[in-house]
Amino acid sequence: MQDKDKTRRKVLIGLTSAVGLSGIPFAATPFIAAWNPSAKAKAAGAPVKLDVSKMQYGQQIQVSWRKQPVFIVRHTDNSLKSLDLSVSKLADPNSDQIEEPYRGLNLSRSKSPEYSVFSGVCTHLGCAPKYFPEIEPKPWDASWKGGFFCPCHGSMFDIVGRVFKGVPAPTNLLVPPHMFDGSILTIGEDREL
Amino acid sequence: MINKLILRINLFVFFLFFFITIDAAEGGACKDYGECDKFKYTLNDTESLQRGASTFINYCYGCHSLKYSRWGRVAKDLKIPEEIFFENLVFDDSIKSGDLMVGAMPSESAEWFGVMPPDLTLVSRYKGDDWIYSYLRAYYEDSSKQYGVNNLVYPGTAMPNVLLSLQGNQKLVCKNVPLIASNGGEQRDDFGNTVFEEKCGFLEVEEGTGTLSKEEFDKLIYDLTNFLVYVGEPIKATRERIGWYVIFYFLIFTALSILLYREFHKDYNT
Amino acid sequence: MSEIAGKLYTWVNARLPIANTFERHLSKHPVPSKVNFWYLFGALAAVTLIIQVVTGIWLIMPYSNTEEQAFSSIEYIMRDVDYGWVIRYMHTTGASLFFAVVYLHMFRGLLYGSYQKPKELVWIFGCTIYLAMMAEGFLGYVLPYGQMSYWGAQVIISLFGAIPYIGESLELWVRGDYYISGITVSRFFALHVVALPLVLIALVFLHLVALHEVGAGNPEGVDIEKYLDDDGVPLDSVPFFPYKVLNALIAIGVFMTVFSIIMFFFPEGGGYFIEMANFQEANPLVTPDHIAPVWYYAPFYTMLRAIPDPLGGLIVMAAAVAIFFVVPWLDRSKVASIRYKGIYSKIAITLFGVSFLTLGYLGTVGVTEVRKTMSIICTVIYFAYFLLMPLYTKFEKTYQVPERL
Repeated sequence: MQDKDKTRRKVLIGLTSAVGLSGIPFAATPFIAAWNPSAKAKAAGAPVKLDVSKMQYGQQIQVSWRKQPVFIVRHTDNSLKSLDLSVSKLADPNSDQIEEPYRGLNLSRSKSPEYSVFSGVCTHLGCAPKYFPEIEPKPWDASWKGGFFCPCHGSMFDIVGRVFKGVPAPTNLLVPPHMFDGSILTIGEDREL
Repeated sequence: MINKLILRINLFVFFLFFFITIDAAEGGACKDYGECDKFKYTLNDTESLQRGASTFINYCYGCHSLKYSRWGRVAKDLKIPEEIFFENLVFDDSIKSGDLMVGAMPSESAEWFGVMPPDLTLVSRYKGDDWIYSYLRAYYEDSSKQYGVNNLVYPGTAMPNVLLSLQGNQKLVCKNVPLIASNGGEQRDDFGNTVFEEKCGFLEVEEGTGTLSKEEFDKLIYDLTNFLVYVGEPIKATRERIGWYVIFYFLIFTALSILLYREFHKDYNT
Repeated sequence: MSEIAGKLYTWVNARLPIANTFERHLSKHPVPSKVNFWYLFGALAAVTLIIQVVTGIWLIMPYSNTEEQAFSSIEYIMRDVDYGWVIRYMHTTGASLFFAVVYLHMFRGLLYGSYQKPKELVWIFGCTIYLAMMAEGFLGYVLPYGQMSYWGAQVIISLFGAIPYIGESLELWVRGDYYISGITVSRFFALHVVALPLVLIALVFLHLVALHEVGAGNPEGVDIEKYLDDDGVPLDSVPFFPYKVLNALIAIGVFMTVFSIIMFFFPEGGGYFIEMANFQEANPLVTPDHIAPVWYYAPFYTMLRAIPDPLGGLIVMAAAVAIFFVVPWLDRSKVASIRYKGIYSKIAITLFGVSFLTLGYLGTVGVTEVRKTMSIICTVIYFAYFLLMPLYTKFEKTYQVPERL
C-alpha cells in the first residue's frame, strides 16, 4: 500500500471515530437529565409560606420543605443576648466552615433578628435533633443553656443551630434561603420584595 | 432478461392489488361538515399562542381542565413573565407556579351537561388539530337542542356554543350554486348561461349578531387551536428543532462511514 | 501501567476465554466477502434491541403500573421528566422499526434460503425471537393504558375466549379481573420488562451462537467453506473486523437517520406507530370508532378478521406464524438463493410479498365487501406460498450455482 493511501486511511479513521465519539455525550444527555428532579418534584418542593407571628417566645416549630424538616425558633432578647456566654463551647461560632447565606446579618443567623430558620437535619448522619430550651443541667451537659440535642449520636447545637465542640456533627445546621414579608415567612425562596 | 420480466410482473401485481383495496373513501372525520378544514400550526408564533391561551382560560377553562399541564410551564413556554401571567390569567391566589391546571369545575357538573366536560390537554392529539379548528367554527342554530345549537362536525354535541357572542348567530342556509357538469366544469344551458341548483347545509352568520367579523373569529379559533396543539405536546417545537441537528449528525456519520468503507474495500477488491 | 494491564489480561484470559472468543466471534470471524444490503438487517436488529433495552430501563423508572396512574405517568414522562419525551419516543419509534427491520431480515431469509441445511436451528431460533417480539410488543402497547391499549388488549384477550371449554375461564385468569384493570396492566408490565426481555436476549444469544457455528450465508447461495486457504479460512471470506463492521456502520448511519426523521418529526408515524385514540385514557364503557392494530400486527389481524368464526380465525392466525418454523423442511430445492431457483419460486415469493403487504394494509383500514374478499384471497396466497413450496421447489428447473463468490 502506498503512503498516500495510508494517510488517507488514518485521517478517515480519525474523523469517523471523532464524529462517532462526539455523539456519545449528546446521546447520553437525555438519560442523565432524566434523573434530575422532575417538574412534579420541583412543584412539590416549591417554597413554603407560613405566618410566624402567632409563635410564642422561645417556641420552636417544625415545617416541612422539600420533605425535610426545617426548624423555626422565635427568640427573646434575653436568650439572644445570652448566646455570647456559650461561644467558647462552639466549634464554629461564625459559620466559617459552611455556606451561610446571611452570615453576620443577625445573631439569629436568619434574615430576621427575632426568628431563627435552619434545617432540622443533623450534619452528622441526618437525624433530627430535638429542642431542649430549658436552662438546666442535662445528662449530656451539666451547664446546658438551652439548644438542640441529637438523640442519635449526641451532637449538640445552641438555640440558633451552631454546633458544639467535640461532638460528632462536623458543622452548624444549615440555613435555607428564606425571606420575611412582615410576619409571613417564605422558606425556599429569597428575592427582593 | 427473465428477472426483469419478473420485476415488471411484481410491480404490476402489486399495484393491481393495491388499487383493488383502495375503494370507496371512508366518511370524513368531520361528519356532516365533510372534510375537516386544514390547520397548519405555528408553534413559534408565541403571540398567537398567548392569545390562544388567553381565550382558553377565559372561555374554556371554566369547564375544561388541562390537567397534565402546569401553569408555570405554560407561562415560560409562551414567554409571558410569570407575574403578568398570574395577574391576568390565574384567577385563584392559592395557585402556585408548579401546579397542574386541574380545572375550575366542580365535579357535579356532569349533571349540567349530561357528561363531564373532558380534559383537553391531549385533545389535539386524539382528535387532531383539523378537527378542533373545524368543530369550533361549525356551530349552528338548532332550536331542537338543549342549548339551541348543534354542530356539523360533532352532531348532538353536549357543549353549548360559548363563543356565540363573539361569532354571532350562525345558521344553516340553502344557496343557489352552479351545477357541476360531468366534465368537471360548470354546467351551462343551451344559451350558455350557468345552471344553478339549490343546495343546503351552508353555514352563514346572521349579520350584526356577533362582536367579531368572520375573519377575526377565524383567527381567534386559529390561535385557540394553535394553543391546544402546543398544550398537547409542549416540546413539539423543540423536538423539531433538535431533530434537524440529529439528522445532520447522522448524515455526516453516514458519509464518513461510506468513505471509510470504500477505503477498506480496496484491500480485497483489487 | 501497560505492564499491569498486560498481566491482568493474561490473568483473566487464563480463567475466561476472552481473547479466543473475541477472535472467533468478532475480530477474525470469517464472513462472505460479497453480500448485499439484505444482509445488514440483522446488525440493525441488534442495534434496535439495544436501544429498546436501554430506553426501556429508563422508562420503567418514571412509569407507574397502576390503573389510576398508568396513563398519567406517560404524560408525566412526556412533560415533567427532563428529556422524558426523547426516551419515550425512542422507545415507540424503536418498537416499530424493530419490527420493520426484523420483517426485512426474515424476508431476506426466504429470498436467499437462509434456513436451508445446516441453518435450520438459526432459522428456528429466529422465528422464536419473532414470536417473543410479537408478545413483547403487544404487552408493551397495553402499558400506557390508553383507549387503544385497552381495546386492543380486549380484542386479543378475547381470542383466548375462542378456545373451546377453557376459553372463558382462561380469559378471566389472564386478566385477573372482569375487565382489563390495574392488575392486568401490572402483570403485563412484569412480563414486558422482565420475563420476555430475558427470553428475547437468551434467544438472540442462541441465534448468534448457532449462526457462528454454521457461518453466515450469501445471496449467491455459494458454500464458501468449499475453498479454504492454507490456514483453513474460506477464500471467499473477509474477517468480520473491520470489513463487516464498516459495512454495518453505513447501515447504522442510514438507519439512525431514518430513525431520527421519524422520532423527531413523525413520532406518531401518521397514527401507525402511536395511534391517535391512545392519547385518550382507557374507558371500558366507550369503544373507539375504529379499532386497528399497530401496523406490525396488521397482516395477521386481517387474517383473523377474514375468517367469520373466532376459533377458526385464531387457528389461522396462529398457523400463519407457526408455519414459518417448518420452512426449512418445506423447501426441497437443490439451491438456496432465489437467484438460481426456478420461475415458480420467483412468482411464488412475489405473490407472497404482495399478499403480505396487502394484508398489512387491509388490517389498518375498515372492512368493506371488496376488502373482505381481498383479505381471503391474500390469506390463501399467503398459505399457498408455504404449503405448495415442497411441490414447486422440487419440480422446477433450477440454475447452476457458481463454485466461488
